[in-house]
Amino acid sequence: MKITRREWVLAAACWNEVLRAQNSQSNQFAWFHPADAAEIKAIAAQIIPDDNTPGAGTAGVIWFIDRSLAGYDQDKQQLYKRGLAETQAKRAELFPGSTSIASLSPEQQVALLKAIEKRDFFQQVRLHTILGFFGQPAGLKFVGVEHQMHYSPPFGYYDAEAARGGSK
Amino acid sequence: MSMAQFHPTDEVDFIVVGIGAAGGVMAKELATAGFRVVALEQGPWRHEKDFKHDEVAVMFRAGLTNDPKKQLNTFRKTPADPAQQQQAVEYGCMVGGGSVHFTTNYWRFHPEDFHERSTLGPVPGADLRDWPITYDDLEPYYTKAEWDLGISGLGGSNPFDGPRSKPYPLPPMPVKSSGVLFERGAKKLGLHPFPAPLAVLSQQYRGRAACVHCGYCEAFGCEVGAKSSTLAALIPAAVKTGRCEVRPNSYVRKIEVGKDGRVSGAIYFDGEGREVFQRAKAVVVCANGAETPRLLLMSKSNAFPEGLGNSNGNVGKYLMFDSGGFAFGLFEHPLNEYKSVVVTRVLHDYYRSDPKRGFYGGGGIDGRFDYYPAGFALAGMPLDGPQWGSEWKREIGQYYTHMSGSLAHASCLAVEQNSISLDDKVKDAWGLPAIRVTFKNHPDDLKAADFLMERQKEILLAAGAKKVWADQTTLGEMTYSRHLMGSCRMGDDPKTSVVNKWNRVHDIPNLFLVDGSSLVTSARQQPTATIQALAYRLADYLRSASL
Repeated sequence: MKITRREWVLAAACWNEVLRAQNSQSNQFAWFHPADAAEIKAIAAQIIPDDNTPGAGTAGVIWFIDRSLAGYDQDKQQLYKRGLAETQAKRAELFPGSTSIASLSPEQQVALLKAIEKRDFFQQVRLHTILGFFGQPAGLKFVGVEHQMHYSPPFGYYDAEAARGGSK
Repeated sequence: MSMAQFHPTDEVDFIVVGIGAAGGVMAKELATAGFRVVALEQGPWRHEKDFKHDEVAVMFRAGLTNDPKKQLNTFRKTPADPAQQQQAVEYGCMVGGGSVHFTTNYWRFHPEDFHERSTLGPVPGADLRDWPITYDDLEPYYTKAEWDLGISGLGGSNPFDGPRSKPYPLPPMPVKSSGVLFERGAKKLGLHPFPAPLAVLSQQYRGRAACVHCGYCEAFGCEVGAKSSTLAALIPAAVKTGRCEVRPNSYVRKIEVGKDGRVSGAIYFDGEGREVFQRAKAVVVCANGAETPRLLLMSKSNAFPEGLGNSNGNVGKYLMFDSGGFAFGLFEHPLNEYKSVVVTRVLHDYYRSDPKRGFYGGGGIDGRFDYYPAGFALAGMPLDGPQWGSEWKREIGQYYTHMSGSLAHASCLAVEQNSISLDDKVKDAWGLPAIRVTFKNHPDDLKAADFLMERQKEILLAAGAKKVWADQTTLGEMTYSRHLMGSCRMGDDPKTSVVNKWNRVHDIPNLFLVDGSSLVTSARQQPTATIQALAYRLADYLRSASL
């Protein structure tokens, strides 16, 4: 699956849902089996790592994915089921004796995901992970958006420079 | 005054199907002229308080647009291919339609756009035609639209524009960093950038507030009513007459025809799924370039077994898409393009078709970076680098505020087999045939977009970009569009067109169509101003027309 600018709208999800999910006191998944959730969580954590800045784990992306699959993206449930099973088969092939994606070393996880990154399943998890992270306030903060209802010019360096009669 | 309420058995003067960019004009103008109007709108009636800054809900869950999970589409490149279920058309689905969520570029078409066939000759593999009207016919209505809606711009600043009878009512929006850099690069190359004419209020206007520069313009609804949508600028005036009833959540499935071969009203499903037949003396369909032909094709009767207006098989044909690629430019200092309106500088130097280039067409180019954060993460980063992981994440964090870019608005040729038709298998959630899109770009469309992409990169580099790259998903053969044009086109000859030069269906005296479907050529995209000018012109005609 190729996600294009033209096809943004084909995807899924909603802030309120993210926030609700993150604030949830309950750790009950609406759709995932907890063992599968741990595997998807490990994949999401490689897509947007929690490194020196917050990532998919801190943002609670797994809850967003769970609520999406239980709701607006119900039609993606089969893709997740089938895709995770195929990814497990790939894991067993690449790393004989391993027992789960989550228990692989980070280097092994990256190698596994590189082997499946063209697949629809990976593209869907990438999409959900991106929406769950960049679609919520911490994601906006991460890219440098100070989210306000009102701004006044100058908005950036170059219009400020032009207003001062600077570089032409 | 409270909104008019008509009974379905009341024979109102007009039904307007779809109260968007064109339908909003029709409702306001017809009601103001004293006619009784019922507007049937597929989507809900949202207000300023209902809009929010939520990229995921709006951009990824069809928050303001047709719902691909209920309003299914199918797509095929040519009639020989099997149609696959996938979304192929996107449009604003609400009272105010696309005028609520559009980016607000508000250009007029150029005088030469209306007679390119005469000037350029035929284009092999396409059906390029002159319009049955000229720029001069539309000029008074462009002006009326600009003043009625509230357009900000600088008249006379685009040397390639046609003559105008009045300036814009409002000064241009403040220039953003993307505009400063675009102007800098363009001027170095000897080009002629100008302040973007936008359907956004740069100052208070007729009781409406000025823009607050919140940055959620493209694809979003305006929370302060500063975007000059029909929702904010016209529909309140239509309702205030006491002669216009707007019925949201009304999904029209058929235009009914009487024994006399004239239209007698419209059948629709209301919000509870009940079927209602509203009677009317005349019907104006403004449902957009995909839904208008679908409705005509669904309106089969003994008198019109192939659907309305389709005696010559033209309904749905000659569909034209929203062509043109996006170029990214990374700059040294922060631009913060997430603030304010999307576009502040445009150029039309490459607009005219130039036979020396070896292909038909050209385009307008604007300076912008209109990717919200998730959209940028999805498709924005250069494809020669990683698309996930720590390095990719770090670069997104560094790039986002330092990005500018440029979008081309390129010509799209009318090709007979590119069309809207009824799918023979897939149904929508109302049990009606899904829209089936058949579309394959004419080779000249792709050549024009590629040519413009090189010009876009030149401008960004001349402006000092450290790195430029194309959004590859915006180039190549299209399978999806937000501009839906030409599918019930206007013409003098009933054999090759669906409506006449007054937007009247050739063989039905009391049925009118006005929206993107009427357009004979795509010009260089950004069709809203022209669609609305056509609507004002039609409304003027209907004041005195005998139906």
